[in-house]
Amino acid sequence: MTLVAFALSGLLALAPEAPRGQPLSGKLLDQRTDEVGALLRCPVCQGLSIADSPATMARNMKAEVREKLAAGYDQEQILADFERSYGEFVRLQPPVRGVNWLVWFGPAAMLLAGGAVVAWALRRSQRPRGEEVALQRDSDLPSRDTLPADPRLAAAVRRVRMLAYGWPDGISPKERA
Amino acid sequence: MATALTSASAPRVNRRVLVAGLAIALPLVAVLVANLGRDPHSVRSPLIGRPAPPFRLVPVGGGAPVALESLHGKPVVINFWATWCVPCFQEHAALVEAARSLPAVQFLGIVYEDDEAQTGEFLRQRGTAYASLMDKDGKTAIAYGVFGVPETFFIDPEGRIVEKHVGPLDRGAILSLVARARGGGR
Repeated sequence: MTLVAFALSGLLALAPEAPRGQPLSGKLLDQRTDEVGALLRCPVCQGLSIADSPATMARNMKAEVREKLAAGYDQEQILADFERSYGEFVRLQPPVRGVNWLVWFGPAAMLLAGGAVVAWALRRSQRPRGEEVALQRDSDLPSRDTLPADPRLAAAVRRVRMLAYGWPDGISPKERA
Repeated sequence: MATALTSASAPRVNRRVLVAGLAIALPLVAVLVANLGRDPHSVRSPLIGRPAPPFRLVPVGGGAPVALESLHGKPVVINFWATWCVPCFQEHAALVEAARSLPAVQFLGIVYEDDEAQTGEFLRQRGTAYASLMDKDGKTAIAYGVFGVPETFFIDPEGRIVEKHVGPLDRGAILSLVARARGGGR
């Protein structure tokens, strides 16, 4: 019973899928082997594809890619097969799924967000000039006899008025009379 | 007066800038903290918890091929090694001793990118207690996702990979990993 279960689980988990492509041969097989090999990372090298690496491991992997292409397996089936052993690490181009969305679209999203922030800041920095223009109208000017809420600042304003005009309130004694 | 004016307009924290700064910085800090103890070069094997890839390989020096399927029902330790690998040298004695003291566990060596005659000579000189198999085209190493040697896989009696150990093993590590393989990884 255990033997049957073992054999079944093994078969189900490891049964090779049917090839989804056309069996290749000749020059096309060489070309596709290089193309698919360029998408697979050599596990024993530093950032090299198996198509570029002279390592024995890379040559063995390339031979396996070639065999699978000759048997009619398509690119995605071959990449998925290596991924089952080595994990996503083996793909030189991470597939667009899960957290990889960040790798593919994160930089563009950050660029857009940065552009939006810069545009917003620029628009904001232009606003005070507009306000100055608006303030030139008499009706927009603050009342001359108002004072800041901070008592120390209010005292300072009163001293400046005294020095500049000769009276500490915004309105001259004459006007007030 | 100048002092009065300065203290009255003392800079206050811009809440929006603070929130934006925290929104960017906190996830980065979280990722950093979560990965502090992790070796950036180690890649966790996707095979752990999955059925061990089958193989059928001929032992060094010839003989009947050994198939993984034939070993069902007992824990299996598969050690990928080579004679040119110094750490493999170091762990060889510990593996041989463990294989002798644990007859219920099947130990196997798989020779990685090495010459058969040289491997045979190494085993004659140093002795062994289990078969070492030739993986001539490297297919088995690729199926197991081997990055280098030594790498050792611990397989439970149901044929599932419980653990992968990268680097040389000592007796203590072998015993504790075998215990996990016996318990089905629990």
